[in-house]
Amino acid sequence: MEQTTRDELLKLFQSKLNEAMRLYLETCTRCGICTEACHVYASMGQIKYISAYRHEIVRRIYKKYFKGRGKLWPSVGESKELSERALEELYEAAYSCTGCRRCMVYCPFGIDTQMLMSIAKLLLIGAHAEPEILTLLADTSIEKGKSLELFKEGFLTGIKNLEAQVVEKWKIEAGEKAIPVDVEGADLLYVALAGAHSIVPAAAVFNAAGENWTLSFFEAVNFGAFVGDPTKTKLILDRILDEAKRLKVKEVCICECGTAYRLMKQLSGNQTFRVSSITEVHARYLREGRIKVDKSKFKEPVTYHDPCQLARNAGVIDEPRYILKHLTHDYREMSPDPRYNWCCGGGGGLVVLGEENLDFRMKSARVKAEQVKETGAKILATACENCHTQLGNLNSHYDMGVEVKFLSSMVADALVR
Amino acid sequence: MCPQSTGAPSLCSWGVSVETVYFIILIPMVYAAFAVFVLGVVIRLVKLFREPNNPTTLQIYPEKRPRWLWALNDTFLLPTVRRHKPVFWVFLMLFHICFLLLIIGHLELIGDFRFFQLIPHEVFLGKGFVGLILSVCVLYFLFRRFSSPVRELSIPEDYYLLILLFLTIFFGSQMDWARRWYDYGNLSVVEYREYVLSLLYLRPHVSSDLTSSGHSFMLVLHVFFGNLFLMFFPFSQLMHSFLSLPMNKLRRG
Repeated sequence: MEQTTRDELLKLFQSKLNEAMRLYLETCTRCGICTEACHVYASMGQIKYISAYRHEIVRRIYKKYFKGRGKLWPSVGESKELSERALEELYEAAYSCTGCRRCMVYCPFGIDTQMLMSIAKLLLIGAHAEPEILTLLADTSIEKGKSLELFKEGFLTGIKNLEAQVVEKWKIEAGEKAIPVDVEGADLLYVALAGAHSIVPAAAVFNAAGENWTLSFFEAVNFGAFVGDPTKTKLILDRILDEAKRLKVKEVCICECGTAYRLMKQLSGNQTFRVSSITEVHARYLREGRIKVDKSKFKEPVTYHDPCQLARNAGVIDEPRYILKHLTHDYREMSPDPRYNWCCGGGGGLVVLGEENLDFRMKSARVKAEQVKETGAKILATACENCHTQLGNLNSHYDMGVEVKFLSSMVADALVR
Repeated sequence: MCPQSTGAPSLCSWGVSVETVYFIILIPMVYAAFAVFVLGVVIRLVKLFREPNNPTTLQIYPEKRPRWLWALNDTFLLPTVRRHKPVFWVFLMLFHICFLLLIIGHLELIGDFRFFQLIPHEVFLGKGFVGLILSVCVLYFLFRRFSSPVRELSIPEDYYLLILLFLTIFFGSQMDWARRWYDYGNLSVVEYREYVLSLLYLRPHVSSDLTSSGHSFMLVLHVFFGNLFLMFFPFSQLMHSFLSLPMNKLRRG
């Protein structure tokens, strides 16, 4: 690696250093409590997948270039040069980690592996060694934000074609719009994903609850976060923030996308509107009696997979359970403590890589498949797009014999007057 | 005067007497070690906490309040270790409690703190068992690093520290054991106290009682390894003793 490249990369490394990051980099005692925390290690048993081992890959470079010790006595901390080989190791560590933060529950200090992997991801971007597809998708999202007018018409036509499907699920009064778009002064801005499955059921439930809502022009997913580019993450997030401010909404509701919700909730700063996940909104409608659902709609046993970014990392834990108790007589908990729910293995952008890492995704999530099977449930509900895709893949790979469903579409399907 | 040369090179043959080595370890090195320790820790903490905060929360849910109380619980009772590695937890708790008792023991060399004497005891407290438990715990920590997967996670620093800690504790405890269990009375708390106070009042003095006893080398080795330990402290993972609480607070939100 050329010195200039290395210097550029080290500048990127430096940009990630703040109080929390330094605490995470400087405190690990390598006690090994985190060994069993990672689903990849639990499923595949290779040392390189233990959280502390992943940390060390970043930490060794940190010691070499940012600590006096790395210069005076490099061997004591095994500090390591930032080289092409080191980049390969960083890739392996970062793109086998889903950022589920389960290890953070085990660590006696609470070291955040996702944070440390974000350094690895940024270095990979700097070296143009990140998965290209993620950068490409992030750039597309940003471009869409810059030139809204260009795609507006196509979007509106697409939405119009979906309206019939919404009405099929929930009839509305003549003259009302099944999917309102660009409504200034709406109470709630719904940020969906590009796909009917994310828009149609949600629209039906909003209409059933008599919500004064409007659909966002933008999709919630943040590829900037998956690839670990802070600037792009912010640009993608800003598109939605700008729209929410322009429409003067009181609430921004994020669709079933764990990362998008966590980013909006935790990274958007103090806003005049509140941020909710669609799961929270549905639970609220049920609690307030604004929608009613048929409890006998789903006859088979149901279990729920807590998306890591939504539950462990953003606190939406009770709401999906509250909803499911209205949807079924036979709800089965997957793990006695939601903090310990296994990751599905699809987070951190891994699922977006599709076929490229399918084999790894399947092998690394064996424990998840077993956890689902043990419940004996026939319906596996979840509230995250990535989890849904990954669980679908797992279902066929491990012959789990379940139907993977979005929680929001279960609510829409069970709506009654 | 050097004794008749036996052929093998000795400190003496280089013009350095054992007394000089003892003196260097027991006085200048102790001051140097404490200076490195205190300055190192303070500078590192100041530098660390002057860094900007992370823009987002790093909390784990479900949250429990009051957060600071749960953070204290996580820091001092190690609930995550208790849940996942109960045997390790027992050793960790024993180690940290005994370490605290040892610090109290050493503070009692400076003076009689009535607070510490709530439960009346002889200095050093614990009748020799504190050091014994600590030695066993450190050996456990060391040996568990020899087996997979902790072996693959460990780096030289982890071994150096544990070995250093073991040597310090072992030689320190040996003096206590000798006095308590083998009636070896030549070195006692009176001499240690005189030495420690002389250091504290910046009138360093090493009495010949301290250096002429058959067990003096144990004291010197104890102080030597202790000095190394203190000097390594600020630059190593040992800083977890100061950083664990703020980190657990980050996790609790």
